[in-house]
Amino acid sequence: MTWRTEHPPTTEDLNSCIDCGLCLSACPTYSITGDETASPRGRIAAMRAVDRGTVALDNRFAQIVDSCLQCLACETVCPSLVPFGTLMEGARAEVAAHRPTPTTAAKRFIFGRLIASRRALMFLSWLLVIAQRLGITGVLPGRASKAKAIRTIPIPVSATAGRQWDPQGEPIGTVGFLSGCVMDHWYSEVHVAVIDLLTRAGYRVVAPKQQTCCGAIAAHEGAAQHARRMAQRNVEAFAGFDTIIVDSAGCSAHMKDYAHWTEDGADLAGRIADANQVIAKLIADGKLPTITERRGQIAIQDPCHLRHAQGITLQPRDILRAAGYEVVETDPTGTCCGAAGAYQLSHPQVSERLGRRKAAQVAATDLDRVASANPGCEMQLLSYLGNSTTVEHPIEIYRNELNRNQEST
Amino acid sequence: MIGYGLPHFPMTRASSVDDSSGVVARLIGVLGSERVHTHPLDLLVFGKDAGVTPGEAAVVVLPESTDEVAAVVRVATAAGVPVVARGAGTGLAGGAVPTSACVLVVLTRMNEIFEVDEVGRTAWVGAGLVNEALSNAVADHGLLFAPDPASQQTATIGGNVGTNAGGPHCLAEGSTIAHVLGMEVVTGDGEVMMVGGAAPDPLGYDLRGLFVGSEGTLGIVTRVLVRLVEVPPQLETMLISFVDVSDAARAVSEVIAEGVVPAALELMDGPMIEAVENFVHAGLPVGPGAVLLAEVSGHSVGVAADAALVREIAVLNGATEIRVARDEDDRALLWKGRKAAFGAIAQSAPDYYLNDTVVPRTRFVDVLDEIYAIAERYELRLLNLIHAGDGNFHPIVSYDAAEAGMTEKVIDATHEMVRAAVAAGGTLSGEHGIGIEKRDLMPEVFSADDLDAQERIRDAFDPLRLLNPGKVLPEGSRCLDRPPT
Repeated sequence: MTWRTEHPPTTEDLNSCIDCGLCLSACPTYSITGDETASPRGRIAAMRAVDRGTVALDNRFAQIVDSCLQCLACETVCPSLVPFGTLMEGARAEVAAHRPTPTTAAKRFIFGRLIASRRALMFLSWLLVIAQRLGITGVLPGRASKAKAIRTIPIPVSATAGRQWDPQGEPIGTVGFLSGCVMDHWYSEVHVAVIDLLTRAGYRVVAPKQQTCCGAIAAHEGAAQHARRMAQRNVEAFAGFDTIIVDSAGCSAHMKDYAHWTEDGADLAGRIADANQVIAKLIADGKLPTITERRGQIAIQDPCHLRHAQGITLQPRDILRAAGYEVVETDPTGTCCGAAGAYQLSHPQVSERLGRRKAAQVAATDLDRVASANPGCEMQLLSYLGNSTTVEHPIEIYRNELNRNQEST
Repeated sequence: MIGYGLPHFPMTRASSVDDSSGVVARLIGVLGSERVHTHPLDLLVFGKDAGVTPGEAAVVVLPESTDEVAAVVRVATAAGVPVVARGAGTGLAGGAVPTSACVLVVLTRMNEIFEVDEVGRTAWVGAGLVNEALSNAVADHGLLFAPDPASQQTATIGGNVGTNAGGPHCLAEGSTIAHVLGMEVVTGDGEVMMVGGAAPDPLGYDLRGLFVGSEGTLGIVTRVLVRLVEVPPQLETMLISFVDVSDAARAVSEVIAEGVVPAALELMDGPMIEAVENFVHAGLPVGPGAVLLAEVSGHSVGVAADAALVREIAVLNGATEIRVARDEDDRALLWKGRKAAFGAIAQSAPDYYLNDTVVPRTRFVDVLDEIYAIAERYELRLLNLIHAGDGNFHPIVSYDAAEAGMTEKVIDATHEMVRAAVAAGGTLSGEHGIGIEKRDLMPEVFSADDLDAQERIRDAFDPLRLLNPGKVLPEGSRCLDRPPT
């Protein structure tokens, strides 16, 4: 088989799997189908068959590859340390290159071009604001109904790219800040919280204007060239910053993997820090306060790209405890909630099944507040838990408690 | 109830399979098209287990009930097509790998827990239930399913039954056979039969011993009545380091000779520790030498006494460090290292060959020395992972099959290791089964008459020889098949 893209699944990576099968039970799609072709080992076997030229890259291969959520739960349990995420991104790019369909072209446009255009995103965000104010998002049919789980966007639609914030106390350094794509407009409250806390701790925060979307969704959806271009642009935009703070799990996970996407990506990857890591460290070091009043219990949900892709599980819990909460676990294995970026739109049935399972786990705690550090998970939880539950980012929760504390003293 | 109930992902059904016999069409009639795979890629993906031998089925089916399995078997055998049962595909001996164009019956969707009797400590479960899922499901009753193969997070109860699976804790608890009371079985002619039952000692012939470990050659087990055991009230888990692997082996022999039966006694040598530590980061002592993972369980007084004795014997045999698991998390971490060991091998080379021989515990040290000598003579990289308490060796040769002549060399060397074990009074397989991998070594331990007797048993249940053909018994095991000598 001649793969057609620059970064196809490599024979070496494929051979690093010895078929032990320990990944199967960790895989959400295998767990709901019992089907080897919907498992990590099965997907690797399919890639290997194409790599060896045993079978052609056909529609069935595309289905097997597309059925993956890319949650990376398999990487967490893999004793052979198989880079499954990289293999899957390679396979997605190959499918897109071999089988150009209207869908792949649309995906390439949306996740490769549109998402990287600030003007387009701002325009769409205003449309969404209007729709939200008119109550249209609540009554959209089919897959568009997902839009009702998006937070009500504050007016005016805010944007952080191109701005900077001075330290509020004793200066301790400067950090770069990833504004992101939809995060910047739709989840600006999270950005506000993170930036406020960083400046309180003494950081000068700079969100360079030149930056763009991290490219994670483009990479996941097989738009490899666009992903590469975006990585390259961010490498240039963030040159000169020792640390770059990223507050969306999917983005920080992807940027830590930039070595794979652009030649000088390793250097930037080494400077990426997820906001949970940084804020937890600032609290531990006493640069941000710990609240001693008890605020009751809160349920926690681990985004896959924090837990499985980056191994970050302790920090969000530490942050919530510092906010005065007792953290209640919902899922010991950290199985994907089914949002998985664009997956919730491409595979609504599987997504719903996983979303309902996750919602049931949260509902079992009898708590109506959930902490989750990723917007995709937040939307999914809200879709299946309903409006009586609030879902917030742990850092947002901590900052609100901090403000509440200060107001009362 | 864990059932699936979700349709499959969208699927292309290629007509690339010649269905002149109409078997595929009839299977679709039984199961619907979503649960019948015929695309070449599906056949390939399902055609292998965790071992090294690939195969390819003619059609893969995913039934959801005993009746569906029976109907599938009837369709297949009526057309003279072989039937092979498969669980989660974590077998290491090729037991679930098709050797001919067969109907591959995948039982993973039959993962229900039908009934738990927490007083009588039994449960009726589907053959496709994952081993660990059963233990998790009954944990609230203070119970667990004792057989704990390293693959327990994925392996199915049906597969455990098929291979008579073991695991570290089978040292004290016995292997799967000691934990199966009854089975619902679909026979070669598509009838449903009950083997054993709730009574501990069934009337008439006790066929359970035949079916457990029969690797799907006598029937397809669809539901299992398992015995559950109490979660031990007290546990002590120790990681004991030795400078030399022989010291560790001697310590094992002495512990057993003292009459202590630890819950588990696992040995890993230096190369194995290194691979494992890369994954678990449990602070294992990387370097030459060996570690012994010892666990004693029971009530507190006995546990303390046994643990002290194990430590004393270890020190007398040159143990350099003894680390006692602080808490449940620490214990889980140490066990994670042991259970992930096999999968961690891939870090050193792309291919491996894993053996499963058993030697009498009195010959443990000699045979281990001999196995190392064989690997050295063949200039092969050897990692050792041993259920030391019951003398079950897993010598693993890690190699690169792309090197010319390498695979043949590895097979020669491992067969020599097996012969060394057999010569010392041991046997071929402790827990992985015979499958394809060790089938042709069967004459090493069985005479022609022994094999003939076993083949007659097989014929009694599967006269058409359509259930998992080419497994367990070498071709020509019947006296009739053999040329006169």
